[in-house]
Amino acid sequence: MDNQRNLILAIVLSAIVLFGWTALADRFFPVAKPAVTKIQGGKEQVLPQPGVASGPAAIRNRAIVLKEAPRVTIDTPKLVGSINLKGARIDDLMLKAYKETVAKNSPPIRLLSPNGSPDAYYAGFGWTGNGIDAPGPNSVWTADAAALTPTKPVTLSWKNNRGQTFQTVIAVDTDYMFTVTQKLANGGTAPVSARPYGLISRYGASKDAWSYSNRIGAMHKVDDEKIAFTEYKEVGESGVTGIRFGSKGTWLGFGDKYWLTALVPDAKATIEAGFLSPQTNVYQAVESGAATIVAPGATAMTTQRFFAGAKEVAILNAYQDKFAIDQFSRTIDWGWFEIIERPIFWVLDWLFKFVGNFGVAIILLTFIVRGLMFPIAQKQFRSMASMRAVQPKMKELQERHKDDKPRLQQEMLKLYQEEKVNPLAGCLPTFLQIPVFYALYKVLMITIEMRHQPFILWIRDLSAPDPLHILNLFGLLNFTPPAFLGIGVLALLLGISMWLQFRLNPQAGMDPAQAQIMGLMPWIMMFIMAPFAAGLLVYWITSNLLTIAQQMFLYSRHPGIKAAAAATAGPAKK
Amino acid sequence: MFAKLIILIARAWQYGPSLILPPTCRFMPSCSAYTIEAVTRYGAVKGGWLGIRRICRCHPWGASGYDPVP
Repeated sequence: MDNQRNLILAIVLSAIVLFGWTALADRFFPVAKPAVTKIQGGKEQVLPQPGVASGPAAIRNRAIVLKEAPRVTIDTPKLVGSINLKGARIDDLMLKAYKETVAKNSPPIRLLSPNGSPDAYYAGFGWTGNGIDAPGPNSVWTADAAALTPTKPVTLSWKNNRGQTFQTVIAVDTDYMFTVTQKLANGGTAPVSARPYGLISRYGASKDAWSYSNRIGAMHKVDDEKIAFTEYKEVGESGVTGIRFGSKGTWLGFGDKYWLTALVPDAKATIEAGFLSPQTNVYQAVESGAATIVAPGATAMTTQRFFAGAKEVAILNAYQDKFAIDQFSRTIDWGWFEIIERPIFWVLDWLFKFVGNFGVAIILLTFIVRGLMFPIAQKQFRSMASMRAVQPKMKELQERHKDDKPRLQQEMLKLYQEEKVNPLAGCLPTFLQIPVFYALYKVLMITIEMRHQPFILWIRDLSAPDPLHILNLFGLLNFTPPAFLGIGVLALLLGISMWLQFRLNPQAGMDPAQAQIMGLMPWIMMFIMAPFAAGLLVYWITSNLLTIAQQMFLYSRHPGIKAAAAATAGPAKK
Repeated sequence: MFAKLIILIARAWQYGPSLILPPTCRFMPSCSAYTIEAVTRYGAVKGGWLGIRRICRCHPWGASGYDPVP
């Protein structure tokens, strides 16, 4: 009767954990992005990724839009695209190093697209002012070269009818930073007043979802040396009024999970900036400098930078230092545990460069973590070995207080204290591992270095969930199980290895209800972990296997412990 | 006020993660029970401090056994 009640309690608790978890998790612990491949009919197929699909039908084909205006090509080791001479916009940019899907023939990631094409996304630079005839979005500029390369900047020029000449010099480095120098030469007879500006405009919010642990949206540096994230939804609601801010040394931009565009004005200039949404589904980041009065014959000049590319950790760190762009490396949403995540990332990245496979790097990381934890396990085993010495006294206590469990426990603890032994390690060893695990979860989720990194066999992206599903017989049946039932091979291995580990490690003083919950834990974790990144499961499985190996090794070093451990677990099992 | 918050956190721990995790306490009473008693008897500041000290004592190389609130 009592046992039955405990079993029911255990099942109800498990159900609460399992379903309560799924309800909470989406907000706080988003699982890996959708699978990149699908196993169907025994074959692995590459799935289309969000962002690849085309936009509204009324919008014209990208290739056609690109031909509508004169252009200067952009060609660097990492970027390919073009500058639109109509409006002097950088509005066509692809990232050579990153593909849309894991397929071999996949097109590269398209970051920027001209206005009028699907998912328009572009940057523009110009001047505004009173009584000045400044170039607008339809002004056609002339260029002094046909191509922009890291070694050769391009100068764009435009002249109005009142004697003012506008020049924009665009340079690019071998990574993702453009340097834009704007010049206004006043050849007229009267002074003019003008303000330089920079603009990023995108059609449509990011296809990557916002969550508290991975904030995706508009971002800018706040006055007090802090980065602020604003959800696209919030920018949309702010309308034409927008969200305004401004100070020296600010920068602002739009992010996706892996990509970023950012305007970095001259750090010494006082800037007015903001995010706004002039139309539904259009998001803009704007910044403008102070008004300068340009006397006849004089030239005003301002320099700013424009980042467009992938959020590679090393590159962002380098820009932050080189150009003194405060907080720039935080455009990757490391969050509260940055202090653990960065070393974990650093170790993983280093191991990856060493062995060339991120899955192997994760396994090696597990070895390092377990190695650091080994002294704790060893200490625990040593005290378990000394438990044997007090075995007779314990038996005696168990006999004496066999009907008074709380009293027995108290007496046993007193005995441990007198004999200076304790089979339990406290909860610290468990807690030490949680930050490492969470850090790996975040690193797999937020850093582009882990994107599309294969392991072995069918795992072609360690940052995506295992594409194999047991429920459809590994893709032989033609359906995709719902996410919470999508157990893959890795999840199954996780469940089994955890079950084995629990079995090898008899727990002292557990009451039956708790023992039952513990018995169900491996299988609950199997369901919970299934939709997470494959790399995270690789880590956990390796960790379980290493714990089992360590357990077996220590048991063989201290024969007889098993008996002692079983004896301490004995009274509670009654 | 602050004392209540500490007790709430300790209780949430007892009825949440602690219920699922295997028993690992080296001390009697457990850190959460110890902290609740300490805060009730000595208030948030001293009681909280006692609780923190107790948690810091609980590690594989530390003491163990019966350790009541002073």
